[in-house]
Amino acid sequence: MSPTRIVLAATAAFVLGAGALLAQDAPRLRGPQPFPAEQPAPPVPRDVTNDVRVRRNYPDQPPLIPHAIEGYALDLNANKCMTCHARQFTEQSQAPMISVTHYQDRDGTTLGGLAPRRYACLACHVPQTEARPAVENRFRDMDALAEPERQPGGRGRH
Amino acid sequence: MSATQDTGPRAEPARPRGRVARLLGWIGRLPVVRTALRPARHLSLAFLTLGGFLGGVVFWGGFNTALEYTNTTEFCVGCHEMQANVFQELQGTIHHVNRSGVRAGCPACHVPHDWTDKIARKMQASKEVWGHIFGTISTRELFLEHRRTMAEREWARMEANDSLECRNCHTTEAMDLTKQNPRAASAHERFLFTGERTCIQCHRGIAHRLPDMRGVSGWQ
Amino acid sequence: MDLARRDLIKAQAAAAAAAAANIALPALAQNVPTGDALRLKWDKAPCRFCGTGCGVMVATREGRVVATHGDMRAEVNRGLNCVKGYFLSKIMYGSDRLTQPLMRMRNGQFAKDGELQPVSWDRAFDTMAAHWKRVLREKGPDAIGMFGSGQWTMFEGYAATKLMRGGFRSNNLDPNARHCMASAAVTFIRTFGSDEPMGCYDDFEHADAFVLWGSNMAEMHPILWTRVTDRRLSATHVRIHTLSTYEHRTTDLSDASIIFRPGTDLVILNYIANHIIQSGAVNRTFVDRHTTFRLANTDIGYGLRPEHTLEQRAQHANDAAVSQPADFDAYARLMSEYTLDRAHQVSGVPKPQLEALARLYADPKTKVMSLWTMGMNQHVRGVWANHMIYNIHLLTGKISEPGNSPFSLTGQPSACGTAREVGCFAHRLPADMQVTNAEHRKTAEEIWKLPSGLLPSKVGYHAVLQDRMLKDGKLNAYWIMCNNNLQTAANTNNETYPGYRNPENLVVCSDAYPTVTTMAADIVLPVAMWVEKEGAYGNAERRTQFWRQLVDAPGEARSDLWQLMEFSKRFTTDEVWPAEILDKAPEYRGRTLFDVLYRNGQVDAHPVSELHPGYNNHEARHFGFYVHKGMWAEFKRFGDHHGHDYAEFDTYHEVRGLRWPVVNGKETLWRYREGLDPYVEAGSGVQFYGNPNKRANIVGAPYEPPAEAPDAEYDMWLVTGRVLEHWHSGSMTLRVPELYRAFPGAILYMHPEDAQAKGLRRGQEVRIISRRGEIRSRVEVRGRNRVPRGLVYVPFFDASQLINKVTLDATDPISKQTDFKKCAVKVVAVGVPVTPASAGAPADRRAGPRQ
Repeated sequence: MSPTRIVLAATAAFVLGAGALLAQDAPRLRGPQPFPAEQPAPPVPRDVTNDVRVRRNYPDQPPLIPHAIEGYALDLNANKCMTCHARQFTEQSQAPMISVTHYQDRDGTTLGGLAPRRYACLACHVPQTEARPAVENRFRDMDALAEPERQPGGRGRH
Repeated sequence: MSATQDTGPRAEPARPRGRVARLLGWIGRLPVVRTALRPARHLSLAFLTLGGFLGGVVFWGGFNTALEYTNTTEFCVGCHEMQANVFQELQGTIHHVNRSGVRAGCPACHVPHDWTDKIARKMQASKEVWGHIFGTISTRELFLEHRRTMAEREWARMEANDSLECRNCHTTEAMDLTKQNPRAASAHERFLFTGERTCIQCHRGIAHRLPDMRGVSGWQ
Repeated sequence: MDLARRDLIKAQAAAAAAAAANIALPALAQNVPTGDALRLKWDKAPCRFCGTGCGVMVATREGRVVATHGDMRAEVNRGLNCVKGYFLSKIMYGSDRLTQPLMRMRNGQFAKDGELQPVSWDRAFDTMAAHWKRVLREKGPDAIGMFGSGQWTMFEGYAATKLMRGGFRSNNLDPNARHCMASAAVTFIRTFGSDEPMGCYDDFEHADAFVLWGSNMAEMHPILWTRVTDRRLSATHVRIHTLSTYEHRTTDLSDASIIFRPGTDLVILNYIANHIIQSGAVNRTFVDRHTTFRLANTDIGYGLRPEHTLEQRAQHANDAAVSQPADFDAYARLMSEYTLDRAHQVSGVPKPQLEALARLYADPKTKVMSLWTMGMNQHVRGVWANHMIYNIHLLTGKISEPGNSPFSLTGQPSACGTAREVGCFAHRLPADMQVTNAEHRKTAEEIWKLPSGLLPSKVGYHAVLQDRMLKDGKLNAYWIMCNNNLQTAANTNNETYPGYRNPENLVVCSDAYPTVTTMAADIVLPVAMWVEKEGAYGNAERRTQFWRQLVDAPGEARSDLWQLMEFSKRFTTDEVWPAEILDKAPEYRGRTLFDVLYRNGQVDAHPVSELHPGYNNHEARHFGFYVHKGMWAEFKRFGDHHGHDYAEFDTYHEVRGLRWPVVNGKETLWRYREGLDPYVEAGSGVQFYGNPNKRANIVGAPYEPPAEAPDAEYDMWLVTGRVLEHWHSGSMTLRVPELYRAFPGAILYMHPEDAQAKGLRRGQEVRIISRRGEIRSRVEVRGRNRVPRGLVYVPFFDASQLINKVTLDATDPISKQTDFKKCAVKVVAVGVPVTPASAGAPADRRAGPRQ
């Protein structure tokens, strides 16, 4: 085997093996091995409910929801999200106010409240579970590229 | 019954009262009732007292059993209106399925646990029987139409009794803030422990879907 | 300059935010980047995911994508993206990205039962070419096949259709869009003679009522749903009626949530037609002038293998697509069977709901937009269902005008552009032309500058048939591109997997990440994805959108376009074309397929110097000509002057997409209506000019039951589908940590009373068992979907819970689209002895604990 081959093989072993090494639930990405084998279903992970804000990957990323939303009404009758995140309720709730873009209609006119096109909050904002991602993501944000030394320990890099 | 149906719920009071009087007269004339009302001639006072006591026990047992039966979710969802609407919604919530397997059925939240209040509520329930018989919420559409009214009635009741039915299980004294998520802990500390708010004011719709919330305080 | 201003505003905002955040720590202020450090390069691209076709702005810096957001200037979404779209920046950076070709080897040689090991592109292509040539020699073109994609760029689809049909002379090319919207595509042609909707997204702002048929838009087309809800919440008279087999986020925001028994939508649709006829709401002028009536052949089977009892028993399994001429009276007679009583009895929907829905369609003053997706299309009677919707709109004349719009939504980002317009189906050529039509083949041969009589006339193997032929050893050289079919094909463990591992077959899979399909393939080719290449997508409203290559692909990953063209260099015409064709056209002898297909004086007509200086283009640099531009000019000729006109190549790089036909630089929003569509003759009002008689077909069909229904043993309906956070098989979205954590694995949605009756609890592990196979999952009795009793829902994105091992490979016999929505299963606990429902433990009666 030539040295090149060995390097290639090592790379491939890494490429195919990296995910499996990182987490146990790589079958979620690649299926059971071999394919016909039975795969146990891992327990359903718990919701993240720590209320800790998660840093955004870039300014336009909708913030993640750091709490459970189970049972919250989001229908024609009621929008539970707005009972905390609407401008007028943020003082008592201490929740972040919906972004100013959420007051604009399709034509960019600023309205007196939540724009109807933004009513379905969960189309963009999602809660998180405690599941461990099956593989790492090597996205690097604009700050990491501009000034890598400002990044906290290894996040966004590999 | 059919006569009542024709006049409807807003019939003038005179006729029903006349009918009640006639009914009482008829009962009073029944032989068995007349015998029962006549003073005893051959039985001892002790026998009557003991018999009355035992009879009372039997009656009370039967009454209470019947009453308790009406106080089960099984009984509540025996009516189509409850089964098809509110019970379907309850089943998707934490009061039906949760970590430790404690389950709150309909009466847990909708019937006072204290005896006198419970009897009062049961007497009120005759109105619900009326509603069932006359199909006030017999279809999904009618149910949805009345949902706000019904919800408001429950909110008002619970605001008036400081969310008594919630507190039958969830007492503030027994709360451990370290076991609550930070958001809930802070809200409880600021609003619940200070008495500024009562449970239902924040936890509306916790067991059922909400009605149109326009105009409800704290909602948009 | 807009972009510069935008950058400036952003810079100011960032500075302001930083200043605000740093008030307490002024020493840190020096760390706030300024000037060039803030500058990002912003470019437009369509979203990589669904058929909505949202515009995205992509920021790059130092060769990497660093940010994305909704494009304010894109008409489709005006600045909004759904959660998947907002995370597009991260889809290319999963750490297990494939960067080298892999091949199954043992002892340094290709071996079907070997392990996947890295090889060079040459080695991979040489192995493939040797196998392709042997198969061609021994079995002919019918044994070669390709499974393509509605996620291919239009250029990739175009290169593939040329290579398969013009090169290898095989129509065994089908896209994964077959699983997605073949029923819609086929019915467009059968009804209007021209594929794709007459209306467009502008209908959202004009409609008075929306009726959703088997579409959970809130999760599957979230941005179009924002336009529906925007209209509903902005105009008080607007109503939304949603028909589905279970409740979900869309029904949450609907005025009427109409839950029917699986498959009975046909009865409801015919009842509405009957109501329109009986109540005198038929627009007789419109019907007399613009429609013709036909009645469909009935008892048409279920697209299963021919030896299946259901096919043997079906009277018209072999001529399912045939329909007979009829008239209004014959159609009305058939519809008269569908009374309110019958519709209620069969569907289980309360009569008031049915009546309200029918009145909506019948009222001439209410503009109705009907929307549908997989519930309608993945249906053993999907073509009929599509017809029935058109029938209602045609009977009332509610069509081809703002707000009155039967509108088929699509799942793949370029199901319309690539699979349909370019023509990647086993029966299609570009611009709605068919392989069975000699005139159409002749046109294609002329435009492609290929010898006369070269293109094959036989309809190729469709998606499901490809799997069966692989298993049966009749399809032996197979290339899967840009999809994950082993995960997404129905009954996959019995009908798909055996074909991939059949020792006679070489199965190649091109993908960006290791998937279930790549893991079962013999050769895996790494792919350049999304903005790592120049591309074009066509969305559901006929809008064609272009993007440029913004970053380079990692390692040796190459675009599908490069792979197809490069592979074609390994074949000469003498090796693959019959001698009699070459005898008649000797000038083609001795040339490679690359020469005759891509270096034909047309595709290579534009030099590299025509590239925009600000962008790389790997294919152009590699092949020495601007491939995309040449292909576009050649492809465009198929559609010019007969209702499928596109604009010039460079235009699309400037604009936010245009809706075809683009005539004199102007896009067409509503087709077939005078004044709105330049192809409609003056004075005619409406012309369905796709058909020779310029009329649309109203095709009557009855209700026929699903292929499989629950019985005593398999007692539950199984419905499969998607979730908001993951697009289809999750191959990209599962690599984005935020999306993964939002919905990490599949779950089984079940009614709480069913769970209780079966002694199951929320979160408990269960087996979902059908006659085909079983998987393990976990019970969910809450959450975003509320299923009725007797029905369960399982999403298919999770490769560790392959629900398609359980599903049935029945298809619509006309469109050949699989029905992933209806089969019978049972659900039992894992590791707990099964107790019959009647023997429920006393604890189970605690539904009503005594207080």
